[in-house]
Amino acid sequence: MDNLITIKNLKKIYKMGDEKIRALDDVNLTIREREFLCLLGTSGSGKSTLLNMIAGLEKPTAGEIIINKQKIHKMNEEQITKFRQKYVGFIFQAYNLIPTLTALENVSLGLTFQGVPKKKRDQMASEMLSLVGLGKRLHHKPTEMSGGQQQRVSIARAFVNKPSIVFADEPTGNLDTKTTYEIMDLMTNMAYEYKQTLIIVTHDNEISDYVHRIIHLKDGKIIEEIMNDSVIKNGVKEEFVYEKL
Amino acid sequence: MNNIDLVIMAMQNLWRRKLRTALTILGVMIGASSIVVMLSLGFGISKSLENQLASWGSLTVITVYPGMGPSGNSKTAAKLDKASVNKFKQIPNVVGVNATKETYGKILIGRFEASSPIIGVDPNIMEAFDFKISEGRLLNESDKLSIVYGGGMAENFYNPKSKSYQPAKVDLLKDKAKLSVDSDSSSSNPNAKPKEYAIKAVGVLSPDDYETSYGVYMPIKQLEKLMAENNKDPKTKNTDYSSVKIKADDIKSVEAIQDTVKEMGFEAYSPKEQLDSIKQQTLVMQTVLGGIGAISLIVAAIGITNTMIMSIYERTKEIGIMKVIGASIKDIRKLFLLEAGFIGLFGGVCGLIFSYIASIILNIVAVSFISNLGGIQEGSTISIIPIPLALGALIFSMLIGILSGYFPAKRAMKLSALEAIKSE
Repeated sequence: MDNLITIKNLKKIYKMGDEKIRALDDVNLTIREREFLCLLGTSGSGKSTLLNMIAGLEKPTAGEIIINKQKIHKMNEEQITKFRQKYVGFIFQAYNLIPTLTALENVSLGLTFQGVPKKKRDQMASEMLSLVGLGKRLHHKPTEMSGGQQQRVSIARAFVNKPSIVFADEPTGNLDTKTTYEIMDLMTNMAYEYKQTLIIVTHDNEISDYVHRIIHLKDGKIIEEIMNDSVIKNGVKEEFVYEKL
Repeated sequence: MNNIDLVIMAMQNLWRRKLRTALTILGVMIGASSIVVMLSLGFGISKSLENQLASWGSLTVITVYPGMGPSGNSKTAAKLDKASVNKFKQIPNVVGVNATKETYGKILIGRFEASSPIIGVDPNIMEAFDFKISEGRLLNESDKLSIVYGGGMAENFYNPKSKSYQPAKVDLLKDKAKLSVDSDSSSSNPNAKPKEYAIKAVGVLSPDDYETSYGVYMPIKQLEKLMAENNKDPKTKNTDYSSVKIKADDIKSVEAIQDTVKEMGFEAYSPKEQLDSIKQQTLVMQTVLGGIGAISLIVAAIGITNTMIMSIYERTKEIGIMKVIGASIKDIRKLFLLEAGFIGLFGGVCGLIFSYIASIILNIVAVSFISNLGGIQEGSTISIIPIPLALGALIFSMLIGILSGYFPAKRAMKLSALEAIKSE
């Protein structure tokens, strides 16, 4: 399987007054197509910074990020926006839905920015919401939904455009254990279905059972890399060999 | 992003904050309508002055008097004779020349008499020079000792033998009238009774025309004959015209013609000249009034900027989310500029509607008030909103909106998506 994402000597240094904080310190990483990757670490380990940089939300201080042969670190804002529209979906811990819009409008918003006509984007959004089990709540606003339901809307929003990479930043951080499993099942099933790459930032151990590889970060450095020998697929634990991915 | 979607989204965002949007629009409305109303007063007042001036005499007419000559020497001065009249006719854009002679005389109807200037005109040009008839007809080529009365002449008749003044009861057109022409003052026998001529009145001019109100008009050839007959001293024989009126084809050519006539050495006057100076004054007035209005629009513009900045603070997180899920910074900028532009446009529309209402009320209330004081004619307007002013106000308020939204939009563009999304 080909490498989809290549990260070389990635550095990010923040200045806090006179103090320099090395959020990422010489990170090298390759991620394969259709791989499910988990970035694990305590707060301040640099895992979110790494995720944001791969997604083009933050500029690296030094180093290279190459996704699908495109040099993300060299793109300007306009190009990154185009790239994000085409290839990237986002899921956040705080759901980050727009409170004044209905579930349907929230999901179709990203398509609006891409210039998809209203009829088509509404159809795509409602299909996606049905897939995540919210077919009857299309016109509810986020405030009228539970946390799990809001995260489902957020998942529908991330997947509606069938992007090749989906980023999830602590997707289950605000959810109870039962809902966490439901959400993880939903996310991974969709990613298998659409042959997507999934990059999840978390400190939740339940999640690590769903992914192929776990990268452990500490103080901006990769300190540990674990290849899982089994993953949960469609709710069942299966044997897994990374090399066969 | 699709333009229609952008417009819809901008509208929805404004609708979400109805009260604040409405208040900001109110500010623009007040600003726009104060400019429009102020300017409309300027237009209205200058228009009614123009009308008033036009009622004093046609705006395309230039009155020419004999030149004073350098240092008042009348011998070297330009003379208003037949030759110069022919020259006037050759000036470009001149459509008619009305050379008049004028003397003073008396009209007698029964025991009533009236003193009046007797003016000789060319009957052919009366129509071109806007002589407006109210009864009877104008003079024509075949008229001999015929006259047309000025509109106010009926009031001039009085009974010289009566001790107290009583309005004369005369029918100008039907009563038999006699005319005597005052002989030259240098006449050898001042007591000689002037010769009386039986005359026929064919018409009365409109009393609304102040210029022609007090005078009696007759064909110039007849008047020349009468003047010759009454001139006892052949040395003072005068073949010059007392004044000549030149009619221009259009108000725009008046100035050039007037200049040409002045260069020929004559004195020339036109209402157009006065009109220009009045227009100058109303322009100054309009600028001042418009300036006052502009201040309130500037205040409104600051209001828009303030509203938009507030809205960005409130929507920081939303802007961040939009950026992360694929809104380009151009779309974000367009969205904010559109919202600000709509506030400006709606404010302009409301302001214009308000201005039209205010203009109607002003024209009814203020005009009746001022005309009661005698300052203005009944039925004239002091507030006029021309279409270009209305359109200009709309475009201007929308531009003000967009301009006010520019700084906030730039701010929204520059927001870091990550920081914005983390903010609460």
